[in-house]
Amino acid sequence: MLIKLTGGTVYDPAHGIDGKVMDIYIRDGRIVDRPRDGERIDQDHNLAGKVVMAGAIDMHTHIGGGKVNIARTLLPEDHRADPVMHTEHCRAGCGHVAPSTLTTGYRYAEMGYTAGFEPAVLPINARQAHLEMGDTPIIDKGGYAMLGSDDLLLRMMAANKDQNAINDYVAWTLHASQAIGIKVVNAGGINAFKFNQRMLDLDEKNAYYQVTPRDVLQRLSRAVHELGIPHPLHVHGNNLGVPGNVETTLNTIAGVDGYPLHLTHIQFHSYGTEGDRKFSSAAARIAEAINKNKHISADVGQILFGQTVTASGDNMAQFRNHAAGSPNKWVCMDIECDAGCGVVPFKYKDQNFVNALQWAIGLEIFLLVDDPWRIFLTTDHPNGAPFTSYPHLIRLLTDKTFRNDMLSSISPDAQKLSTLASIDREYSLYEIAIMTRAGAAKLVGLHDRGHLGVGAAADITVYSDHADREKMFSKPDYVFKDGELVVRNGSVVKVTWGTTHVVRPEFDRSIEKEIAKYFETYHTVNMEHVKVTDQQIADDGRGHVQVHECKGRREKTA
Amino acid sequence: MSALTFTLKTALQQRLDLSALTPDQLAGKSRADIAAIQLPYGRKQLRVDEVFDLHGEDTANIVFANSAAKLDYIGSKMKSGTITVNGDTGAYLGFQMGGGELAVHGNVDAYAASGMSGGLIHIFGNAGDFLAAAIPGDRKGMKGGTVIVTGNAGDRVGDQMRRGTLLIEGNVGSYCASRMLAGTIGVLGTVGEYVGYGMRRGTLLLTSKPAMHATLQDCGAHTLPYLSLMFKSFGELPSKFAKIDKNRVQRYAGDVANDGKGEILVLQ
Repeated sequence: MLIKLTGGTVYDPAHGIDGKVMDIYIRDGRIVDRPRDGERIDQDHNLAGKVVMAGAIDMHTHIGGGKVNIARTLLPEDHRADPVMHTEHCRAGCGHVAPSTLTTGYRYAEMGYTAGFEPAVLPINARQAHLEMGDTPIIDKGGYAMLGSDDLLLRMMAANKDQNAINDYVAWTLHASQAIGIKVVNAGGINAFKFNQRMLDLDEKNAYYQVTPRDVLQRLSRAVHELGIPHPLHVHGNNLGVPGNVETTLNTIAGVDGYPLHLTHIQFHSYGTEGDRKFSSAAARIAEAINKNKHISADVGQILFGQTVTASGDNMAQFRNHAAGSPNKWVCMDIECDAGCGVVPFKYKDQNFVNALQWAIGLEIFLLVDDPWRIFLTTDHPNGAPFTSYPHLIRLLTDKTFRNDMLSSISPDAQKLSTLASIDREYSLYEIAIMTRAGAAKLVGLHDRGHLGVGAAADITVYSDHADREKMFSKPDYVFKDGELVVRNGSVVKVTWGTTHVVRPEFDRSIEKEIAKYFETYHTVNMEHVKVTDQQIADDGRGHVQVHECKGRREKTA
Repeated sequence: MSALTFTLKTALQQRLDLSALTPDQLAGKSRADIAAIQLPYGRKQLRVDEVFDLHGEDTANIVFANSAAKLDYIGSKMKSGTITVNGDTGAYLGFQMGGGELAVHGNVDAYAASGMSGGLIHIFGNAGDFLAAAIPGDRKGMKGGTVIVTGNAGDRVGDQMRRGTLLIEGNVGSYCASRMLAGTIGVLGTVGEYVGYGMRRGTLLLTSKPAMHATLQDCGAHTLPYLSLMFKSFGELPSKFAKIDKNRVQRYAGDVANDGKGEILVLQ
């Protein structure tokens, strides 16, 4: 089967192509060179005047794992209010802020997204996460395994184990939980919460293990680097949402010995304490630090106004914020002593000073960070807003007039404290393509996604160029997933099942002796039962696993 | 203008969701618009005119004729006008209803008046289980308004009820007023076991002493003048409760395993 996409205007930042009219050929799910003259073309799509990009990649979205199910259970009203009917191609579903798995996959595809990465896969709960992601159609998926508050790591660090042992444990975790990266949430803080600590700053010690968050970040970022894992350590910082946490964030950037870090939903970590209400934007300082430190990348975690639900492993932050929840119900729980979880429904209001300023801070960060290869478009779905609001967010970034109109409608006190109105930058389509495609693929370590070069998987999205970018990005004309046409005019026309992306760095298997003993002594399950196998993900042929290379494995660096 | 009448013309295989057919939502719509409304039916949707014959034009007064037990969500979220049902109805009658009047000349299934916050529902037949109770996941059942049941009601009546008045002239099943938060329930007939189980606050008015579980406490006989006022306030309602003129009761408090501020009053 040979498909030709004729005459589209292509944006492919991975190859420096910025709006060039060209043809793309697809054969057997891959992008191929121009075929020989006279070869039969089975399908020819005339894309004259259309915008062609690789399928978008959401590098941080909570689409699987225990907390999403808790959010679903907690919010029946969310499901009742948004029923999705069964159609010719799609099964029924529901949910606006925490949609069902099927609906999640359809909606992502209908927005031109072809991959999403679940950022908080608890190793002990990885099976649940993969089952949910396996039930999410069309898009590719992957997960970041969560370490940093688990007793085994802290125990190893308290015993001052050699870095090699930590590296082996990190690598083992990636294998066992079928993940593509390592995430750390409130480094050590989830554990400290269990010892009755309610705050934990970067250099504060865990009351029991005497380990600081800085130690955890250093150890893990170094392990990720030395194992050659493409995705840098994915860091949800300490002190999320606390006014003045900008200092913690800047210290985190400075304090990890230069190992690469990805700071996630950085908007929630960019707050100062200026002004009458002791809450202010520190976006400029954060952006300056990101611009200066080339080993740092970040995704924004933009908030958008309306009802949503915050679901996070950071039970310390969630416990702190539960009183602000709306509707008034919340969950904080431990999960198998491996980490924690907090779910708090939240309604962001544009006339609320704090919410309005959060909104402005997120946009300031987007616009003040110079390098679109190191800043990513997320709302930390569903924590800042559901992923379905991405087209609206893209319009805010690409249309200054629209942005300023929105700004003038929010809480006047927040407007006064924001520099947003003075920022003229408008993102170009090329920059949007970097943030949501090429950059995201590079960051996660997907060599064959996020670009349109020969050999890449044919994940392609075609939009009609529309001055209103919200309209344009919410309803693509065509979406191809692995060469198959899955969406036409913003509606699913074929349901396929994506790949699960993983990495498998080499490691010394003798670490299993220690891990097995730990499970034997302290856990409810045997170590072998924690491991998720390829067969389980393959699920009778519906899914499969793609292993990405860990290039440049390094020996111990010091 | 005659009432807008939907006459059910087919036997249904699946449950049919009628939440779209309320006076508020139909106001200003033409006959053709109404006929074309899609109603969720299992995994499909059906047009209104595939299921109903339509007569009349007054959208503020709706009649469902030949109604059957598979018609769910009648009067869901309605705020004004009247709906009259001739025949049985399915579940979720008057779900989250905010105002208006709803009368059913037949029996209704589970979760009638769940989440209701205002208006009047009069059920001339029997009500199913979970009358005025919270649906799973919700934390409050009925939140206001008045419900009159001429016949009997099932189990878990008033589970997590928060406010409003629920007057039942027949008998009620087990777990009546369980986990009740506030409001008033009256039952003229008998109640089943575990009455007031987990009851937090609120008032349950009975005419004979029910079987009591261990955490309901007898507080003695009292003359409560406010009861006269309450029965007087029922004066306008088409219910036997309007004719009661008593204020001497045996009072039981409970469920003391759950705050214990609820009261069960047995008229003497």
